[in-house]
Amino acid sequence: MFERLLRLIASRWFRLVLVVFIVLSLQTTLFSEVRPFGYAIQLVAIFVASAGSVHDVRTGAIVGLVSGLMFDAVLATPLGISALVLGAVGAGAALMLRSFRDPPWWLRLLAVSVAAACGELLMPLTQAVVGQGGWLGLRVISAMSVTFIGALLIASLFIPVTRWTLREKVLLGN
Amino acid sequence: MAKNRTNLTRAIALLALASVFFITLDLSDSAVTSRMRRVFGTVFSPIENVSRVVTRPLSGAWKAFREYDDVVDENDRLKEEVALQEGAAVAAAASVRLAQELLALNGLPTLAGINSVTAQVIGETPTNYSQIVEINQGSSSGIKVGMPVLNAAGLIGKVTEVFGDRALVMLISDPDYALSVKVVTKSSRTPITLPPLPTEDAPTVDSVLETNDTSSTSSSTSTTTTIFGFTPSATTVPADVVAGAGSKINVPLAGQLAVRETGILEGRGPGTRPIVRFLDATTRAAAIEVGAPVVSSGGSRSLAPPDVVIGVVSRVIERLGTAGPILEIDLVADLSNLSFLRILLYQPITEAGR
Repeated sequence: MFERLLRLIASRWFRLVLVVFIVLSLQTTLFSEVRPFGYAIQLVAIFVASAGSVHDVRTGAIVGLVSGLMFDAVLATPLGISALVLGAVGAGAALMLRSFRDPPWWLRLLAVSVAAACGELLMPLTQAVVGQGGWLGLRVISAMSVTFIGALLIASLFIPVTRWTLREKVLLGN
Repeated sequence: MAKNRTNLTRAIALLALASVFFITLDLSDSAVTSRMRRVFGTVFSPIENVSRVVTRPLSGAWKAFREYDDVVDENDRLKEEVALQEGAAVAAAASVRLAQELLALNGLPTLAGINSVTAQVIGETPTNYSQIVEINQGSSSGIKVGMPVLNAAGLIGKVTEVFGDRALVMLISDPDYALSVKVVTKSSRTPITLPPLPTEDAPTVDSVLETNDTSSTSSSTSTTTTIFGFTPSATTVPADVVAGAGSKINVPLAGQLAVRETGILEGRGPGTRPIVRFLDATTRAAAIEVGAPVVSSGGSRSLAPPDVVIGVVSRVIERLGTAGPILEIDLVADLSNLSFLRILLYQPITEAGR
């Protein structure tokens, strides 16, 4: 029992939860106030896309689903919406780089930025699907642009962080 | 390797199903999701507070960089406005007090009778697709879900989530926000003007009401003799309110009194004016003027008590057919610059028990 607990604490998934707590706290404090052109840079989406870009599709999806559930618990939107969107963002970032054996740094940055920006499109779409419409409009393009540029600037910091966070080989359920 | 992949695939399926399950639960207003949020909030709150303290210099620097010039300009403008408003505020306060006394005498609800809690905005929404702010008061101060929130200017939203020492407030501009409102319009009919009377013949409240009754089709003619503690003709009313001392008085006809059109106010996102759709499709656009005040309508199922100021009509959009007009509203409260808020401890019936 004790050994199992230790193994869980030492696992990369536990470390992921701790790191997501820090990223979330930055999102809800600094990055909810620093709003270029009135739009919040989606730090959590950039983190998830970074994880997807340095790992495989499955890992990216799990990081997105876990981070999204935690993000939803902070937001007032229905619990689970951000999880589905960020799961798709993580998997999408990994899929974009799937055909490259060793993608150059700039391509990785570009994939992270595109995936994070797509998350800004997916969010109002998913909200509309569950009956919380009213956000689909030209505003989405501006929000995507701000997150895209923000990701270009921030992703280079997140890529080593996600590498460190998910470095271990212990897997969920083991 | 293959086993690892299978495990990951199972985990993805499990998490995705859990997400769909939670969405379903949350949309059906389940208490389970609220409890989960509360537990998560308790764990997350200390981390967020540390982060807020650590990042304060950075956010301060950003604000200084972005807003300094605007703040200086606004400060100059506000100084001028304060000087202009000081005189008007004294007169307005007297009128408000008089109105509240009259409402109380008639047993009608007023905002003065509702307790409130003052709170400070400590955080904005971290996403681009919701209009939520976080305040530093929660259930420990008596705040409950559904309570209306005001700032110094007027209504700004309602409480949607409550934790021990903080709460989330959905702003009036959120597309999910809807509130029944009334638009106070004017009539174009000419009032009756009475000649000046000698001071000893100055009409009392009762005599004015009686005059109104005989000269118009007003439906309200009863006096207030049945109200405890109120003696007709004994009310002291300032000379400039009830005619006398040689001044002319205007007796309003029933049709000249302000008309109230009732509708539903809906948010449309930041930077876009909220709109009012009318419940009554027969409402004509011509009856509504730009600049007409919009206030909450109140009522047992309303989210706010009556007569909370919301804004003024900025545009009337006429529609073809039987559809009534749509009004665009300029909010009196500046939602982009919220600091101190007042939460009315008034929980609507529709939100009771949450």
